[in-house]
This record gives sequence, C-alpha cells and structure tokens, in this order.
Amino acid sequence: MTMLTRRRLLQTGAGAGLMLAGASRMAMGQARTLNVTAYGGVWETTIRSCFVAPFEAKTGAKATVSLGSPAQWLAQVEASPAKPPLDVLIMTPDLAITAAQADRMQDFTVEKIPNLAKIPRQFTDACLGKGTYFDYGVAGITYNKKTVPNPPKSFAEFVDRVAAGDFVASVPSITYAVTPIMLIWAMAQALGGSVENVDPFFDAMKKMKKNLLFWSGPNDFFNHLASGEADLGIYFDGRTWNHYDEGATWIDFVNPKEGGALAAVAIQIPKNADPLAFAYLNEVLDAQNQTRFAEVMNYAVTNEDVVYSAKLKPRITPWQQAAFPPYEKIAAVRNGWVDRWNREIGR
Amino acid sequence: MARANASRFRFNPPGWFLLLPAVLFLIAFFVLPLVDDGLRSIRADDGSLTLARYVAILSDRFYLGVIVETVALSSAVTVICVLIGYPVAYHLVRRAGCWSALIVFLLIAPLLTSIIMRTFGWQVLFARRGLINTLLVQDLGLLEQPLRILNTPGLAIAALVHVLVPFMVLSIAAVLQGIDQRLEEGAQVLGASRWRTFVEITLPLSLDGIGTGAILVFMIANGSFVTLALLGGGFQTLPLFIFQQFNTTRDFGMASTMSTVLLVIAMACLYLQLRLVRRQGI
Repeated sequence: MTMLTRRRLLQTGAGAGLMLAGASRMAMGQARTLNVTAYGGVWETTIRSCFVAPFEAKTGAKATVSLGSPAQWLAQVEASPAKPPLDVLIMTPDLAITAAQADRMQDFTVEKIPNLAKIPRQFTDACLGKGTYFDYGVAGITYNKKTVPNPPKSFAEFVDRVAAGDFVASVPSITYAVTPIMLIWAMAQALGGSVENVDPFFDAMKKMKKNLLFWSGPNDFFNHLASGEADLGIYFDGRTWNHYDEGATWIDFVNPKEGGALAAVAIQIPKNADPLAFAYLNEVLDAQNQTRFAEVMNYAVTNEDVVYSAKLKPRITPWQQAAFPPYEKIAAVRNGWVDRWNREIGR
Repeated sequence: MARANASRFRFNPPGWFLLLPAVLFLIAFFVLPLVDDGLRSIRADDGSLTLARYVAILSDRFYLGVIVETVALSSAVTVICVLIGYPVAYHLVRRAGCWSALIVFLLIAPLLTSIIMRTFGWQVLFARRGLINTLLVQDLGLLEQPLRILNTPGLAIAALVHVLVPFMVLSIAAVLQGIDQRLEEGAQVLGASRWRTFVEITLPLSLDGIGTGAILVFMIANGSFVTLALLGGGFQTLPLFIFQQFNTTRDFGMASTMSTVLLVIAMACLYLQLRLVRRQGI
C-alpha cells in the first residue's frame, strides 16, 4: 500500500501542473489566438457577432476581445512594442494619427486587406495609410421633442437660443476624449473660426455659460435629457437612435446646417502584431459584416457596397454632409485648447 | 525513523519570513509603480532629467489654485463628515440600544451599491424635472420654477459626504465604544453638567476616532474622481486633471507630475493630522 506523504503529494501536484501546462501549449499551437479590442456593452456583443464569429469560422483561429478605451490600448502597445498585447486597435481618429506618426502601426494596403479597396481613400489617408475608418457618426444636436418642439437648425442658432435662455444645453466636458474635435473645432468652424482661431467657440461658451451643463460620458448625456436637467445638447446621431429604439421615442437628432463633426472610429494594427490581424481586418471591412454591424449599432459604416435598410437609411448622415475634421492639424494644437478650456471654462 | 527524518528537515521560518508575501506584493504593486511614476514625472521627452513640469505646476497661479481647491474641498468634506458623523456615532453607541444593528446596517448599506449608481441616484433626485423639483413645483405648488440643484458645488459636496460619512461614523463609534462610561458618570457625580462632561471627558477621549476618521475621509476625498466627474459642481481638482492628462491630452509626464504632487499633499496632510491628534495626548 502506498502511503500518501507530503513529498509525494507535492511531486504529484508538480507533475500534474506540468502536464496541464504542456496540454494548454499544445492547444495554443493548434489554434492561434488573436487579441482584438472593443468598447463595452452592445459594441462588444456586436463586434463578436459581426466580425469575430466570421473571422473564426474562416480561419479556424480564435479571437479574444479586450474591453477598454483607445488611450488605454495605445498605452499598452507603447509599453510593449516588440510584443504588443493587442493585435487590433479601435482608435479615435486623432489617436490613430498620433500612433501612425510615432511609427507604431502597420501600413494598410489592398494586398494585405482586399476589402480595403471598398473603403473611401480619404478614410485611409486620414490615418496616414496606417489604419482606416470602419464606422462613423456625426456629432450634432440631439434634443427632447417634448421640451424643444422647434429645435435649432444650426450651431449658430443653438448658441443664440441657449444664450438667450430658451433651453438648457448639455455639451461634452473636456474630460471626454473627443471634445476638442466634436465641440471645440466643430463649433469654432461653424461660427467662422478655424483650427488656428478657436476664439468664436470660447466666446460662444461664455455667452451660453448660465444655461450649460457638461456630460462626462454618453450615458451621462442621456441622463441629463431623460431627467429633464437639459433640453438638448451636442451628441452623436447613432447613439440618439439607439436610445430611440430602446424606448426613448421623445428623442430626436438634427445635423446642423454647417455640418456636425464626423465622429469616426479608426482601426489599426500595431507593428509586430500577429499577421492574422489582417484577416480579421478584412472581415471588419467586409460589406455583409458591416451591414449587420450598422443595423445593430445605428451608425454608418464605410464599405461603399453596403446597402442600408429602409429603417436605417434615413437615420444615416452621409459623411460628405458632415464636417471632416483636420485631425492632424487639431492634434498639433489640441493640448493648448484643453489648457485654455481649463482656464476659461472650468470643467 | 521516518519521524526522526521529518523533524530533522522541519522548516522553521523566522518571523520576518511570514511578512515576505505581503512585502513582495507591496513592492511589486505599490512601491515600484510609485517609483516609476516619480521617474516619469522628471524624465523629459528626450530622456534627460528635468523638473520643468513641477516648476510649471508650482509656478502657475492657475495650477496652484487647483491644488488649493483640491485640499479645500477635501478639508470641507472632512469637517462636514465630523459634524454629521459624531452625533450619529454617539447616538449609535450610547442611545440606540437594540436599534444599533439597524443603524449600522443603514450606514453600511450604501457602501454595498456601486458609487456610480449612487451618483446617478443624485441626478434622478435633484434634476430639474427630478423627484424633488416635481414635488416642489407640480405636486405641492411651492415653487414656480424648478430649483437648479444639480451641478452645483453644494450637491457635489453633499454626494461626497454621503459616500464618506460611514467611514467617519464607524471610526468614531469604535473609539466611543471603548471609553469607560464610569469616567463620565464620575464627572457628573462630582457636579459636572452633561455638556461639560462631554467637552472635558468624552470628546478628548474620542479624538483618536475623529483623527482616524478624518484621515480616512480626507484621503479618499482627496483622490475622489467619479463623484466630481459626474456631478460636477464646477470643482477643478487634481484627480480630474490627472484623468484629463491621460485621456484627452495623453501627456503622461504631466499626469505623473500631478499624481506625485497629489501624493505629497496627501502625505503632508496625513502628517499634520497625525501630529494634531498626538498633540492631544491620545
């Protein structure tokens, strides 16, 4: 009869551990695993069903989805550029330029990603050829139909009527990463300014100050409207329609006549990422997959072959009707704008 | 024979050995990140060492104002927590009797809910068309226009106090519990009024609890982010700026500098509070 001693127990445990480690390595060898990224919530589930599932079916590889934010993902890649922990990054357009300029990302070509041929060249150029946009929305005026029966049709009217006290408006705070583009640049541009001159924006904010609220995140904006704290604000078309479909039928959206800022989602592949990332990218840019993605997310997608449903089509603002931000120029002056906001506006 | 071998190889670790896992954990996840943070704050983009960021913050009236606002807000929240927390703790220990378990539960219950949920709760209650304003304007007809309560400094402070007051109450209650009530009874037998007994006996003996609670509340308020980010109040504090440096401007060097300044302020305040408490002879 064998006595179970402590030493034997340890030896058995160590042996079992080694066997398990070996088995998992064998399993890893059989199926490569790609690490892709997504925002949380419905974004994640839609990324999984529309892009990850077809990728896995075609390649036999696996893809794990990391949740977070572009600034966090880029920092992770910058911390380990030789062996990036993420193979595909969802990025904001300005961060995509920052990453491209730092030479952290791989070139996008039709040879590597055949579906790239169906994406407007402007979107790849906007990422300096090291990424492209795969969906976009427009940051315009979202309002509560019950309290704003006659919504402002332009940024200029928005500013005048909020300053006059007709409405309380909720606009993104400076802690929200895209605020310099969707609010500072877009409003400055609409009011006669430019990247070099954002005085019109800061003047407008001073005029509206008494009737202004700030949202820190998209859910925060919806709470402002739903609770009646604000009547309208600067927000995204796609998210507006998501709220509408979830039962908030009192909500509506206007693309200001000057054109709301294009709020695109960029996608990039870090240098030294798994080459399978290009196969995944091809699925992300595929017309059929993008159509399904658009139907769930209520956002426009970038493949030119996509045909939107009758329900979605009137909700989509074509990118040609939006204001295309000069991201590269904005990136160069963004920190100065943020500093000025801190000093003149507060939060 | 086997037993003799076992005793020969018995492992008798020295006392410090048992501390090793905790020490290693602290070094890996607290000390080294702090050192890295400090180095990042003094490393220029070209790799050279510089104090330029500290000079930029400490010589700019705007950033000095932010530092003062951060400390002032934390101090105000701490003082309010003491003023609210002490009577509650006193009642809990000396008067509540069989209700004490319920009071402790009511104190701790909010801590079981996510701070984000609690913060959104304030929005639902105090929005222009929230519960309070609907009651005042529509149901009771006491006001013509709804009150503007959200995004005011008062509500942001109230929300922070709501989050932090349980820490104060529990710290004070633990000390009050340990005070020998015969000391208070003795004072009263010798002619001291209730108020004098409280001021000269109970309060000095409970300073340790106030000190512990104040340190806890101040430290947490000093680094609080979510409540101020969601409820605003117009406050500009270092945690909000640190987040902004990471999320909006991606100036990690400046974020590290601000977080080091915040840490130094917190440690300086901790030192002052400890000295203050010790000076009372507790």
